[in-house]
Amino acid sequence: MTAKKEDKKGKGGKVVKALRTDKKERILKELKTIVGEKNATAEEHILYAYSYDMSFVTPKLPDYVVMAHTVEEIQKLMKFSNKEKIPVVPYTSGTNIGGLCIPERGGIILDLKKMNKIVKLDPEALYAVIEPGVSHGQLANALYKYNLRFGWPVGPPSSSVSSCAISHGIGHMNARYGLNSQEITSMEVVLPTGELVRVGSCAINSDAWHSCLPMPQMDGLFKGWLGSTGIVTKLGIAIHHIPPLLKIFTVSCDHVDDMYSYMLNLSNYEICDDLTAVSWWLSQVPIPYPYKPKPEDAPEWFSYATTFSFTEKEKEARTEIWEKVVNEEKNKGTSIQVTHYPEEALKARTQLPSQIVGSTKNYCKMGGAGISWPGTFTPANRWAPIYKEWKKIMIGRNLSPSIRMSMYRGVHYGMLRAMTPFNKKNPKETENARQAIVECLKVDLDNGGMPYKPPVDFAAEINKRAHPGYLMLMKRLKKFLDPNDIMNPGKLGI
Amino acid sequence: MKWNIPSLEELEDILWRCTACGTCKEAYDYGPPPFSAPICPAGEEFGFEGFLSSKGKIAYARGILSGELQWNDALVDAIYRCNICGGCQSQCQLDHKPFIPEIIEAMRRKAVTDGVGPMPKQKVIAQSLSSYDNPYQGPRRVRLDWTRPFKKEGKPIKNILEEPAPILYYVGCTGGYNIPVRTVPQATASIFHKLGLDFGILGEQEVCCGSTAMRLGDAEAFQRIAESNLEMFRKLHEEKGVKTIVTSCAGCYRAFMKDYPMADEYGRMMEGIRVTHITQFLHDLFQMGQLKFSESLPWKVTYHDPCHAGRHLTKYIIDKEGTQLWAGAYVNLDEKDCLYDIPRELLKAIPGIDLREMRRIRSNSYCCGGGGGVMTGYNDWAQRNAGLRIQEGMETGADHMVSICPFCHYNLNQGAQGIGSKMKLFDLTELIDKAIA
Repeated sequence: MTAKKEDKKGKGGKVVKALRTDKKERILKELKTIVGEKNATAEEHILYAYSYDMSFVTPKLPDYVVMAHTVEEIQKLMKFSNKEKIPVVPYTSGTNIGGLCIPERGGIILDLKKMNKIVKLDPEALYAVIEPGVSHGQLANALYKYNLRFGWPVGPPSSSVSSCAISHGIGHMNARYGLNSQEITSMEVVLPTGELVRVGSCAINSDAWHSCLPMPQMDGLFKGWLGSTGIVTKLGIAIHHIPPLLKIFTVSCDHVDDMYSYMLNLSNYEICDDLTAVSWWLSQVPIPYPYKPKPEDAPEWFSYATTFSFTEKEKEARTEIWEKVVNEEKNKGTSIQVTHYPEEALKARTQLPSQIVGSTKNYCKMGGAGISWPGTFTPANRWAPIYKEWKKIMIGRNLSPSIRMSMYRGVHYGMLRAMTPFNKKNPKETENARQAIVECLKVDLDNGGMPYKPPVDFAAEINKRAHPGYLMLMKRLKKFLDPNDIMNPGKLGI
Repeated sequence: MKWNIPSLEELEDILWRCTACGTCKEAYDYGPPPFSAPICPAGEEFGFEGFLSSKGKIAYARGILSGELQWNDALVDAIYRCNICGGCQSQCQLDHKPFIPEIIEAMRRKAVTDGVGPMPKQKVIAQSLSSYDNPYQGPRRVRLDWTRPFKKEGKPIKNILEEPAPILYYVGCTGGYNIPVRTVPQATASIFHKLGLDFGILGEQEVCCGSTAMRLGDAEAFQRIAESNLEMFRKLHEEKGVKTIVTSCAGCYRAFMKDYPMADEYGRMMEGIRVTHITQFLHDLFQMGQLKFSESLPWKVTYHDPCHAGRHLTKYIIDKEGTQLWAGAYVNLDEKDCLYDIPRELLKAIPGIDLREMRRIRSNSYCCGGGGGVMTGYNDWAQRNAGLRIQEGMETGADHMVSICPFCHYNLNQGAQGIGSKMKLFDLTELIDKAIA
């Protein structure tokens, strides 16, 4: 009997896709043979728990969930799925806010959380090798024993280090070391067709995971592809010493142009681990939902710049530079002022990983369950004009313009994003937020920005503007790696 | 008596405060040094998201309420595969945090109301509660078996219904019926005798506290039992002079402290009566100099925080009216009722005791795996999970584990046997009894 998808409407508009029972049973039996009886399921309530996340992305059910424990199991699973042309969506903790693990075309959710070993930790060579299920909390715990650190994102401590890094996530040291994806030193990957490959130094010597260079950077085939080109089963990452002295510089101002000028100036000196500015609405705990006006006398922008030093003299030198920058900005006639940043808010930004920030406590408490974003990498000199447009869009939709700008590794581009809470229980409010976010994205794209960890709704807008050669190459690479388009299909919009 | 026990429907707005961020999935503390560890027994055993922490259970609750999930055997089974230990609750930072166990129990209440829950093995408990007033299917006369050694020694324990006493020792069903755990009431009564306290027990007239029924979602049975107990306590206070109820069971204590106050007449019924856990009771005496340790116990021990005597007693500060933050905001927590420090202080006060802490303690304690109806419904799993906790205890170098819950006592000893460990779990009262003359 041929397989056929039957669509039926569930409550809340959810489309429930169900494979024909006989085929489903056959596939499930095979999946259980591969990973064990207890580690594959098609039970509806289990599928349901994987059907949604924090974002506005429409929930969708997978057909199966499979829990892998070994690389060999993943290889067998991919070979089988490729033969049967069943979509596979890799999943670690599902904590992104872009619906990246929501299965657009059903298929198998491959849950990797039980593959959570720190395979190697070399405190002298300063790299670690981790499995995909290793969480930020787990890694922080292991590294601290050697006074080491990694770039901790403002995500839950339970979120996956590997997934964040391969999706170009950022950490708390992005002004110093760049994106977490730039910290990747080697990779082991199972291809959609089931072969095991390695890229970086571990490809030549199985015990050397220190660098992706000077070989061809084939790690790029698996970074930023939203899990659509392979399953990363081991990841080498650079780790760093924790300097003992932390100093945080905080300023505020009334205009986004002034904040941009200050950040640009300060970033030239490359003294910060994190150089971030937040709008008044994002500085509130939580973000006001729905929109409420900023008090007249409150500054519109706040910035915190974290610096770490090994000695007091080094700290003093950093302070001297910062004071010079502040004076220069004041002399330009900008509204920059040195500001006291609330202690609790500073802790939330520096004591990472953090349950409070990670749980989005300060983001969406007033909204109710929903949070999403236009999260972008944008040239710094376009931040101010984009912010002004975003502010109009957000306020026009009764949403707070809770914007963050972060400078990346002194290269004058960085993160520009609007954390947007919404009431997920209410479909109208969810749709309102979605439309606002997509509108903001269009403005950003037209100004040279690019979204990261983009919800599927962004793909059409991105590809609409893309160079034909880029799309052609992307399609060709995807076809080469994943001939049957089974890996997280639909996410790239190609 | 009217009860304010919320239905799942009444909790709907609250469970939409969960963002599905997954912070609940792992125990974590910034430190420094940072601390991170698994916290959810069901997540450890079954792995899939639906089983894991509050994020998974809330997914079920949403699906049930929206109609996207319909009851079937597998779904009913899934909502009972949870210890309701509150480990996930300790991690959550959002507004539904104070209600997480309530949401899980409300799902079970709905299952019971809809005629699909609890699980077949657990239904025996409901039947037993109805027939015998205890969940162990034990005849009422067996409830007194633990007192035989006292009779033999010529130190009978007073029946409080016959002779007045200011202290009611509420033994609890596990201490009374579960043979390996009878050492707990025996140690408690022995301590009381040694201290010369005037106390009594209800004997065959003692009725289950109702905790098990509540954990399984049988609110009707719980209310019936709780009302009977409240009336008994009132009567004992008025007619027999009872001013203090002491229990050595964490489950009973949790029920008296958190479940019973949901009755509108709780204040009136309990006026003039103090409920206390034996650990708190003895700690008070210790601080007043009335409990003195004279014997040395050169033991290396580790301490297991039971969920019901620990994090379940956390009080949550909620901005109900929205005067501080916004209506319904979770503001902060108060752990002063949680029995974290008191048992440790008593342990450390016993001469010779070498206390070695496990990694997961206090609000991040790893559940023994027995609670929430799991020991009855899924005994193999409960025992396996207890084995994990025993393993953690062994890693401290301790020879024995100490706790203050007869349920943990039984399950952890089962777990130790399961993994072939020589580690034995003792109740704190057993150590105190050995250490006083």
